[in-house]
Amino acid sequence: MSRQSSSLTPVGAAAGLFLISVLAVSCACLSVLGVKLSNAPVVPWEQLIPLGVYAAGVPFVLVWLKLIGWRGDAGVVGAVFLLCGMGLVVQFRMGSFAQGLAAPLALVPLPLGLAAFAFGASLTSKGRGAWLTGAGWLAYLAALAALAALLVLGRRYRGGMYTAGNMNPSEVVKPLLVFFLAVYLSRRQKAFSETQAGMPVPPFGTLLGLVFLWGGPMLLTIALKDLGLMVLLNAILIVMLFAIARSTGYLAIGLAAVAAAGFGVRFISAHAQARFDVWLDPFADPTGKGWQILQALSAMYSGGLWGAGLGAGVPQTVPIVTSDFVYAALAEEIGLVGCGLLLMVYAALFSRGFRAAGAARTPFERLLCVGLTGSLAVQTLLNVAGVTKALPLTGITLPLISHGGSSLVTTLFMAGLIAGLSDRK
Amino acid sequence: MLETVVEFLNGAQGRDFFRFLKVAFLAFFTVAALAVLFAPRARPGRVSYGLLRVIVTAALAAVLAYQATWQLAGFVKPDFVRFMRRYNKRPRAAETQVMRGPILDRRGLVLAAPVPGDVWGRRYPLGESAVHPVGYFHSRFGITAVERVCDPELSGYPAETKEDFPGKNLFAVRAAEGAAVTLTLDAGLQAKAYELLEGRKGAVVVMKPRSGALLALVSSPGFDPLNPQSAVEDDENSPVFNRAVQGRYPPGSTFKILIAGMALEKGLSPVYACPGMGYIAGPNTPPIRDSEYYAYARNGAVWPGWGRLGLEEALVHSSNVYFAQLGVGCGTPAFNRVMARARINEALVYLEAASGKLKTACGHAPEVARKRKLALLAIGQGEVLVTPLHVACFTAAVAAGGEMARPRLRADEPVEKLGMLFMPGTAKQLGEMLRKAVRSGTGRAANVPGLEVCGKTGTAQAPGGDDHAWFTCFAPQRRPGIVVTVLVERGGFGAKAALPVARALLEEADRLGYVRQTGEELK
Repeated sequence: MSRQSSSLTPVGAAAGLFLISVLAVSCACLSVLGVKLSNAPVVPWEQLIPLGVYAAGVPFVLVWLKLIGWRGDAGVVGAVFLLCGMGLVVQFRMGSFAQGLAAPLALVPLPLGLAAFAFGASLTSKGRGAWLTGAGWLAYLAALAALAALLVLGRRYRGGMYTAGNMNPSEVVKPLLVFFLAVYLSRRQKAFSETQAGMPVPPFGTLLGLVFLWGGPMLLTIALKDLGLMVLLNAILIVMLFAIARSTGYLAIGLAAVAAAGFGVRFISAHAQARFDVWLDPFADPTGKGWQILQALSAMYSGGLWGAGLGAGVPQTVPIVTSDFVYAALAEEIGLVGCGLLLMVYAALFSRGFRAAGAARTPFERLLCVGLTGSLAVQTLLNVAGVTKALPLTGITLPLISHGGSSLVTTLFMAGLIAGLSDRK
Repeated sequence: MLETVVEFLNGAQGRDFFRFLKVAFLAFFTVAALAVLFAPRARPGRVSYGLLRVIVTAALAAVLAYQATWQLAGFVKPDFVRFMRRYNKRPRAAETQVMRGPILDRRGLVLAAPVPGDVWGRRYPLGESAVHPVGYFHSRFGITAVERVCDPELSGYPAETKEDFPGKNLFAVRAAEGAAVTLTLDAGLQAKAYELLEGRKGAVVVMKPRSGALLALVSSPGFDPLNPQSAVEDDENSPVFNRAVQGRYPPGSTFKILIAGMALEKGLSPVYACPGMGYIAGPNTPPIRDSEYYAYARNGAVWPGWGRLGLEEALVHSSNVYFAQLGVGCGTPAFNRVMARARINEALVYLEAASGKLKTACGHAPEVARKRKLALLAIGQGEVLVTPLHVACFTAAVAAGGEMARPRLRADEPVEKLGMLFMPGTAKQLGEMLRKAVRSGTGRAANVPGLEVCGKTGTAQAPGGDDHAWFTCFAPQRRPGIVVTVLVERGGFGAKAALPVARALLEEADRLGYVRQTGEELK
């Protein structure tokens, strides 16, 4: 395929993908709007602002990419904006923008996120990101500071910690730690690559250093009782260790550790135990602890193969459907077919991210790209698996689709970095 | 202009329009997804992360396949089918909506009724005063109490059986309209009882002694069944908690009814010396004293004690010193026997439907009791805990000639007997004593002229605050028509806090014709 379209510049291809995305998103949006109108004869102009910002803002990002001479992977950019558009439609459908201009803060994340994407892409394209390696320790300290600040200032809401305006600063911890690990591990590539009989055996000192450093964020996530973040960070660590050492041993160790932790955590945290028990048998307490997941599964069941149509379902019956359980709303309205397509887009994004990592010039860039892509991939998997009851719930949001300002900005920034890294010239 | 659009959207053409949009969206989404998948790729690099790509893609595919087992094949999972039939709100929506049946009181007054045109709408005329027995039906907080266990009938399903698998047509087999469920409650009494508690934490049970029919089952504070949000978050008052059936309290002196009955059954009616300094059950145990001791001490005087008391006088004056000795005198086996007959350690089921039961919390009376423990238990302190409904049930047994009836909340459930608590002769003697307690003892204030009220006050010490106030009674002494049990949490003296509520309820119940019986007892 790549040879056929050699005449097409990457930005041109991305623009083409965006155009098709806009067509799909418009149909979805029209359907939602139609349902809203048939219920109440008022055009919700203010609620359409985010979609307008999307349609007008993304071309600006593409123009910016053209200006900086970006020649990366168009598929990455196309996938990101298709998912982002779907996210906006779902949030519009669920009434997340219902307050309109009365809550201007809710309108800020999208333009901010688009800018973050453009900024991220400029930062890392064409190997420009090399000088960043000097800031590795700064990122580590910043991640610790963000977690500590959350511990001190945050307030608890539905088992998670948030600060003012329900912003979740733990979002920024992900890219910061990925960046730190990319710097740290790329400088110790040799040490971590040592293997014996297929199993990695890094020198004791190196291992001890990593364990010591990793202990900081781990202890803080335990103190925050943010089980989801802890699982996610450890998954990122395993993926990045695998990427630097290219030893499947790390993946095996990782899987074993996940199984052990999943079993062991039940004895430590009552919260985790409860989630584990609900996962094993949601029907034990169907109207209490099992209510949310069973309502989500009921939503899926009623969606069936083709879905109820956007706007035509009743997903608001699932508690907190706009954030963690947004996938259930989508499953009800776009059906299993739509979900399959959606997961295909995610898979394409991650696959392209990993491919871009493989093509990167320096170990640092390679690791950064693997870490960022892996982070988004693990997040997607944990969320979707949780909502479908394939795994216990971890309270992790669905990248680019779940409601949440800090999450959207961070995710778009991470995606921007990946898009930048895919351009290595 | 806008009206035309809205009309179009709501019309038959509108349906086609939405169907067209659905197809168009899926088509464009497919094209977009495929385009992303096959967009020009970067050249492969030196390192390949094929394994990661395969793992992530395979994991996503596996999750999607698992999702399909719910989304497409959920009907093969029996538990899931049962859940959806009861709690999936979608079949309640749109065209398939079935009008949810009402919940009525014994006179046919509405306790809960549907709101036409609103799938989750529900009207609760009694509001917060009946929310505990009736429950709520809320799109976000789920379904509770009678709304929950009677849901299959209310929402138009026939009785469910485990083998009932309608396959894909899960929702097809339903009646056109939900059935009405009639409760034994009297809306007037229920509202009055709630009002009389004046927002204090507490519970009221009003029931018919022979049939066990519950005329009022009140827990206070209540909350708005249409908006449980703030109640769920209120940890201080816990309004969601049904104190009448789930609250476990030390019964205090109301327990002396059981202890007196126990002694009578053993043929004991001893006379004990009841000195003012109290009774010491064993070494290193604090003395058990009458409440008068403390009242005198507060005024700087010394309580001389009741002197020599018989059983009847002791019950009339509610003497702790006497009953502590009586408990020890009767011994452990007799105590355990009466606890078993009163079913103190069991949960009482007060509504049984095909899809679930409503029952009280289990009470607690320790099985093996040593002498000094027994002294405390005999005055309703120590480790013994009961629910207000349970106190009402053993009071009802005394009123009904010794036979305990299962409490019932649903009008069409048959009367069920839980066995003899006491011999009829014992029950009659107890009735006379309790009558005397109201005529000339601790319950004087409840002596409504003409009603022959028999009752017992209770002031139960509980750690961490003031005493719980109890009053439990029945009326009239001959051919009793009604039992009233009142608990006021941390209310202080039973005669002061709980008794006036019971008295006002007796008067109200008499006005409604529940107390003085003209013929056969109403179900």
